[in-house]
Amino acid sequence: MRRRTTAFAAIVAVAAMALAGCSSSGGGGGDTGGGSGSDDPFKVIAFTSGNQTPIGAWWVKAVQAKADENGWDLTMIQGDFDFQKMNPQVESAIGQGADAIFDGFTDYASIGSIITAAKDADIPIFAMDSGTEATDGFVVNITTNQQKLVDSTLGALDESLGGLKGKNIMVIGHDPHPGIRLRASLAEKDLKAAGAVIAGGEIQKVKSPATGRTEALAIVADYLTAHPDGLDAVWVGWDDAALGASKAIDEAGSDAKVTGSDATSEAIAAIQAGGSFLATINQPWPEVLDTVTDDIIAFQKDGTMPKENFIAVDTTLVDKDNAADITPSDKL
Amino acid sequence: MTSTTVPVQPRTSIGKFLVQGGTTIALLALIVFFFAMRPDVFLTFTNVRNILFQVSILAIVAGAQTLVMVVGDFDLSLAATSSLSGAVVASLMLGGMPLAPAILIGLIVGLLIGIGNGLLVAYLNLSAFVATLATMTSVIGLAYLVTQGTTLFNLPPGFNALGQGRLLNVPLPVYIAILIGVILWAVLRFTTTGRKWYAIGGNVEVSRLSGINVRRGRLMAFAAAGLISAIAGILLAARLGSGSAVQGSDNLLFSVAAVFLGMTVIKSGQANLVGTMVGVAIIGVMSNGLNILGVNSYVQQVVTGLIIIAAVTLSSLKTRER
Repeated sequence: MRRRTTAFAAIVAVAAMALAGCSSSGGGGGDTGGGSGSDDPFKVIAFTSGNQTPIGAWWVKAVQAKADENGWDLTMIQGDFDFQKMNPQVESAIGQGADAIFDGFTDYASIGSIITAAKDADIPIFAMDSGTEATDGFVVNITTNQQKLVDSTLGALDESLGGLKGKNIMVIGHDPHPGIRLRASLAEKDLKAAGAVIAGGEIQKVKSPATGRTEALAIVADYLTAHPDGLDAVWVGWDDAALGASKAIDEAGSDAKVTGSDATSEAIAAIQAGGSFLATINQPWPEVLDTVTDDIIAFQKDGTMPKENFIAVDTTLVDKDNAADITPSDKL
Repeated sequence: MTSTTVPVQPRTSIGKFLVQGGTTIALLALIVFFFAMRPDVFLTFTNVRNILFQVSILAIVAGAQTLVMVVGDFDLSLAATSSLSGAVVASLMLGGMPLAPAILIGLIVGLLIGIGNGLLVAYLNLSAFVATLATMTSVIGLAYLVTQGTTLFNLPPGFNALGQGRLLNVPLPVYIAILIGVILWAVLRFTTTGRKWYAIGGNVEVSRLSGINVRRGRLMAFAAAGLISAIAGILLAARLGSGSAVQGSDNLLFSVAAVFLGMTVIKSGQANLVGTMVGVAIIGVMSNGLNILGVNSYVQQVVTGLIIIAAVTLSSLKTRER
């Protein structure tokens, strides 16, 4: 028994020394970068929960290319929308030391523990499209201007319908996505202000992005059955659901118009086909990535931090006139 | 020797059959309620066609789930299998393969996944929950690989017509769902295979002692379910004109709910095709009716769960009274 206890104590002692060794060699961030002049490669932890979306998949590849180009030691963590899996992985990577963290398309509300761990380790987080308002958790977050996005799409509907006043317009949103939630609420507010009638009385909410197209299809088909002439347009927060709404309108033989957002190749093709899909929005993610990368490089060089911690860039309306000139978001 | 419980459906009149279970009562109550709320819309041809169109894919997946639940198992991978099959067909056709061989390969994919599940459950004795959960995880991954995480579209018009075409102004998927439903019902009701499946679901040991090849029976049920879910996935891709890794993922939960609802329709409480279709109808009628009434989708989700509980509870109370 005594021999077992001694052996156990020895194992614990060895493990403790090993852990101490690990923590002293890599713990704490910001010790090799930020203009420190160290010869160690600049260590970047990049993570996204949206790697299974086309844009998220593009981002993973694009950030890897940026890392190769700039000689970063990159740790890429892909979360598959599973924060219970992703957050501990990122926190573990932070524990092993890094110079900078790059968040792609993951809302700050879902990564509170990562933000805390990064602050504790004094590692700055650079982000793109990771929230719709400024937060101290990021040294910079560049996203798209949701108000201008809404202005563009409502402008297209206004022009197509000959004014919004008195028109029945459905708004379809998805609350768990902060960007879609914000722009849907802005669209509802602006439509009401313009004198339009919100079809169904409120924002129609799709529950799951995975079934967004079929959910939107059913919502619009059922609405048109109940109100055959009661729909002039459907404003949708993202293209996949907009395609479902468009299909319901076409199948019902309605003249209603649809707008989406994302500029997917399928949406662009639908716009070019000249059916009910009127317009979508192109968000300049490659340019945003370049800007955030420049910010990280400036920090790597001499510790310079971005001047603003929240930037909202303009978007481009995609309609029949310019659809052929736009690179679809899923073909970046 | 103990006899196996093969559900012999009582030869009652249609009227008696309709009032036999709480689930059927719930369906009728829902129809009456929504008709009373919107008499000008709810039972019109256009809206009934809407409902049938909206539930046709779910009806096929639920039919597949019924087969597996008849033998006492369940399959969590059916919706994922259907998505993968649809994505495979879409991918092959976009690569230039003609319609028929692409569909055939999509069906084979579903069949192989079903056989894989059957082997894991029947021959390696893994629990159906663990085996099909693991399969579902891998199949979803495969679907992402096939689609590269994107939505595959620009499918041939001939293929899209399978899901969007109409015969006598009724969408083709409705006919296909009815055809598959009738075939499954006949297989379960009139064939030796169906009887064996019910016997296995009733009591595995007694079935084995009675000379039934239990393993082969369970394998066949899983294989058939995989094949049928592939049909559903291919039809969904044709209906939407696109294929993606996760489309139709809600069919898993709803198919299980439909089978459970259907199990309350007959006295024996076993999975049965007619009951499953009643369950599918409840889900479809409720979704459509609540949409027509303009009920918030979050409230719809809550109400759907409550209606399922109410139907099953009502049926349970009736059973106790007997």
